[in-house]
Amino acid sequence: MVSNKAIFSALLFSIFATPVMALNIFTCQPDWAALVKVHAPQANIFSATTAYQDPHFIQARPSLIAQMRKADLVICSGAEQEIGWLPELQRQSRNSKVRTGSEGLFYVTDYVAMLDKRDNVDRVLGDVHAQGNPHVQFAISDMLAVSKALTLRLTSQDKKNASQYQKNGVKFQQQWQQSMLEWQQKAAPLKGKKVVGYHGTYRYLFAWLGIEQVADLEPKPGVSPTTAHLNSLANFNAQQVYAIVYSTHQSDKAANWLAKRTALPVVALAQSVGGTDQALDIFSLIDSSIDALLAVQP
Amino acid sequence: MNKKLLWLSALSISSTAAMATTSNTISNVEIGVVLDGIYQDGSREFSHREEGFSLGHSEINLSANIDDKFRGVLTTMLESHEGKTEIELEEAFIESLAMPWGFKVKAGRFLSSFGYLNEKHVHEDAFSERPGVYRALLGGHYFDDGVQLSWLAPTDFYLAFTSEAFSGKKLDAGFDQPATVGVYSAAINIGADINASHSWMFGLSALRNGNGEMQFGGEHDHDDHAGDSHDEHDHGEHSHGPAFTGENLFGADFTWKWAPQGNYKYQNVRFTTEYLQLNDLYDTQFSDLQGAKDNLKGIYATIVYQFTPHWSVALRGSEFDHQLANDVHGHGDHAHGDFSDAKLREYDVSLAWLSSHFGQVRGQYTRQETHTKDDNIFSLQYVMTFGAHAAHGF
Repeated sequence: MVSNKAIFSALLFSIFATPVMALNIFTCQPDWAALVKVHAPQANIFSATTAYQDPHFIQARPSLIAQMRKADLVICSGAEQEIGWLPELQRQSRNSKVRTGSEGLFYVTDYVAMLDKRDNVDRVLGDVHAQGNPHVQFAISDMLAVSKALTLRLTSQDKKNASQYQKNGVKFQQQWQQSMLEWQQKAAPLKGKKVVGYHGTYRYLFAWLGIEQVADLEPKPGVSPTTAHLNSLANFNAQQVYAIVYSTHQSDKAANWLAKRTALPVVALAQSVGGTDQALDIFSLIDSSIDALLAVQP
Repeated sequence: MNKKLLWLSALSISSTAAMATTSNTISNVEIGVVLDGIYQDGSREFSHREEGFSLGHSEINLSANIDDKFRGVLTTMLESHEGKTEIELEEAFIESLAMPWGFKVKAGRFLSSFGYLNEKHVHEDAFSERPGVYRALLGGHYFDDGVQLSWLAPTDFYLAFTSEAFSGKKLDAGFDQPATVGVYSAAINIGADINASHSWMFGLSALRNGNGEMQFGGEHDHDDHAGDSHDEHDHGEHSHGPAFTGENLFGADFTWKWAPQGNYKYQNVRFTTEYLQLNDLYDTQFSDLQGAKDNLKGIYATIVYQFTPHWSVALRGSEFDHQLANDVHGHGDHAHGDFSDAKLREYDVSLAWLSSHFGQVRGQYTRQETHTKDDNIFSLQYVMTFGAHAAHGF
């Protein structure tokens, strides 16, 4: 079936393709590794973190410096999510391609309608960011704009494969739009539900689903739960609350403690791709999170 | 093809500059302050930290990108000493941002890359003071005026080479006409992850000090290396310099870090051990004297266990073999006096309460054993930062 001509051109392509190196892409979160994999399947993709690591507390490890040195493109959430380690990696890796302001550094938050922006930031308020909540892997409706921007960036970094990136980008955007319709239908019963959260990890997911996070296990963003704070939560009216939601990378102690006191159900969601057995890619991260929220037995 | 690439890179450089100016509307200067205060009921050998209340290494740090090719850093350290506030310029350097092939140049005043601990700021430590061997041989931390060239290899694991040249004035044994460039250093560091939970780094360093060996003859041939904490190498004035100098200093260090699944928030362990050896302290006239050691060596090991987001405990053991000079001086054409062996052993325990990522209060107990006496030292200290705070290295 396969013609000689096709074999010959494939051979020719592989000969010429060999010296053209695939893009080396470094991502700060596994979600962006999953997203860019859909757009550039041939690229060498490295994720600096896993779904089981708190993204605020990453060490500027030697291995990450070595990986960033050879990166053509770095994709991070931005909005100061990685402020504790990304600048150190940039300095130590000496890779001018991925400096702040360079085309080789792509911040997802630049293409997201940010929630919880603040005019006034003070550390008394906890770990808050002026540019808004940086946990944008759940910014579902913005993912189309992110995909478009990422496609453009990949195209400008690797013109040879531009048509492939464009094709993959369009395909992703269509699939994502289709998925959004399905998720909207499926998640309809969740609308108006009130939950207790643990950090602002699901701010964007809850906003999109119409869920309201009425309380947080953390007394202040980034500050670990204290007994005094949990006691104050135990006293509040649990009748209207649907569930306590935390992430699989977080300690389950605070959530279980409150659940015992209030008899509320507990749900553990993935914070990122890989955080549960079901969250295998950027689609199933959203899909499995909705499923887990729907599965709550009041 | 090459021309096209050049054009593209020129374009990307110009777009970089444009983006940098628009994203920082007012100023991109980062200002950070470290506040460090301590009360201790004793003082340590080879240390200038006093008994009672004092400010430790309170610092003001300014840094910014100068343009798309350079970054500048200025760190001023404020210390109290005998009722006076002393200001010392700890860092004032520029470093390159855009050199090709993994090279970087640093110039000005900066912390030498010798060893593991030396390059770190004191406020990153888990204890109020550096181990004895660091205080005696590097004055706690060695910074000087000079240049540094380093190269990061394009390998999958971390491999870096660093070489430095310094004025060496801080490590001068007392030469009348010291070499203009007194100190050269070289270091190699490798590191990698074993898996998501375990990471490590190993380093070897050497430092050659042209003015470090104690010379016979001249006005300065009395002993500067008294090695006695009450009569240090300070020429009668307060000094942050080391108690001992020599021509060659070698170091080996190993660091290992662990956190369950690499999640450092709730629990983590850091372990570091370092060995330092100082060779060629004296020229033959002095080294032939009775009891003179060929070298001085020291080692320490530290383990820090953060067991909740708010608490960590740290243990450290350190040992330093040195010597005391007994009336060593030059007289005519021969030297007098002798040396006797001395030892410093320290065991430290500290417990820190971390109010957040930016503040901690810690209590520390040190058992200090020397050739003459044993001491128990208790201290209570805070180390807090505000403003921009540069990310810590591994």
